[in-house]
Amino acid sequence: MKKNEIGLEEALDSLEQIVEVLEEGKMTLEESLDLYEKGMKLVKLCNARLEGAQRRIECLTGELPSDLS
Amino acid sequence: MTQIFTVTDLNQRISDRLENDPRLHDLWARGEVSNYLHHRSGHRYFTLKDQDSQISCVLFKGSALSLNFELDDGKNVLVFGDVAVYRPQGRVQLVARAIKQDEGLGLRHLQLEALKKKLAAEGLFALERKRALPLYPERIGIVTSPQGAALRDVLRTLGPYPARIILSPAQVQGEGAEDSIASALFALRGRADVIIVCRGGGSTEDLWCFNSEIVARAIFACDSPVISAVGHETDVTIADYVADMRAATPTAAAKMAVPDVEELLDRLRSTQVRIMRALWTGLERKEERLEYLKRSISAKRMYSLARDARQRLDILCQSLDEAQADKMQSLKSRLELAQGRLAAVGPRATLLRGYAIARSQKGLILQAQDTRPGEEIELILGQGRLRCTVRECLDDKEASL
Repeated sequence: MKKNEIGLEEALDSLEQIVEVLEEGKMTLEESLDLYEKGMKLVKLCNARLEGAQRRIECLTGELPSDLS
Repeated sequence: MTQIFTVTDLNQRISDRLENDPRLHDLWARGEVSNYLHHRSGHRYFTLKDQDSQISCVLFKGSALSLNFELDDGKNVLVFGDVAVYRPQGRVQLVARAIKQDEGLGLRHLQLEALKKKLAAEGLFALERKRALPLYPERIGIVTSPQGAALRDVLRTLGPYPARIILSPAQVQGEGAEDSIASALFALRGRADVIIVCRGGGSTEDLWCFNSEIVARAIFACDSPVISAVGHETDVTIADYVADMRAATPTAAAKMAVPDVEELLDRLRSTQVRIMRALWTGLERKEERLEYLKRSISAKRMYSLARDARQRLDILCQSLDEAQADKMQSLKSRLELAQGRLAAVGPRATLLRGYAIARSQKGLILQAQDTRPGEEIELILGQGRLRCTVRECLDDKEASL
């Protein structure tokens, strides 16, 4: 994970907000298109994090048992 | 005076002394059984102990018949009997006549209750300080034995959730387990968003380290929320009281720590649909508005504008008519007034007094020369007119009225 990468929680939070604002439907066409694009990017990002994730297990002291690493 | 006893005499003397003391007979004593020996003679020997002291006990075969539970090490009991000296060994002992099980109030439990009370008073169990678990932890710390089944249960349950899993190994039973758990917890400082401290099921003895003060304080000092999962559903330890969340099993703890990935993906899919629908609805709404406006402008709106204009025109016309009628009325009355006044100053009144106005075609006849003999003239009287023919024109200066 890169340092500046947005966290899952943050991404899901912004996504929720975007949906709410969009559903309120009070912005101009340009604004809603912008929001839509932003939202879709976040959806893609979350999907990628959830689907492509490799589980990483670290051990603070020494080696992990062989069945876990 | 110095007296020298034989050992036998001395023990006899002690024995006499004790056996004559009514306070040491028919008494109840409370403690935990240890060094239990069920002798083949049928007698039972054990040590009754508490936190600081112990005493030998014997339950003779005859009295043992009344036992209604299995006497064993670690059992907390109430012993009824008498104090006596076992003279061959010079040992003070409690000769039991009856033994009852001491429900939950044994030594260890007393200690446990005391510790609970102390920690509760310090606020370690306070609900106000329980921290909420993060919804989407990025780093999950696990304190347990690397060899244990609990770790495998936790890892299996965490499933594909994308987080760093940081194992901080600890010895979870036996000598030194308490310190090991405490330092494993400490090692996770600043490294985890949530911590699971767990071990699988075991005997009360095995789980006892989770009742220790040092583990309680280590959990309390953690800088991220702690989920405890020790043993099975029915095992509740002090660690469970201090932890921010208590899970019945390690598997349950893992379920609490992370959201379900499938559920999250579902939510994402529905969010995607919501976003698209919201955008679409927004567009449709704009289109509808446009359509509405278009329609309004083309027919309805124009029609209503025209109708409004006509109405306004009607109203204007009507008030104009009214204004004109008013004006006519006032003109009429002014005319009548003027007529009246005119009549008052006109010749009619004079004519009625006997005068007449003579008039030819050329106009008023003021003197005789204004007319010629034979000319037709008209005399206007107070009432009616006369048509006359002039016979003679007399410039009669004397004729006067």
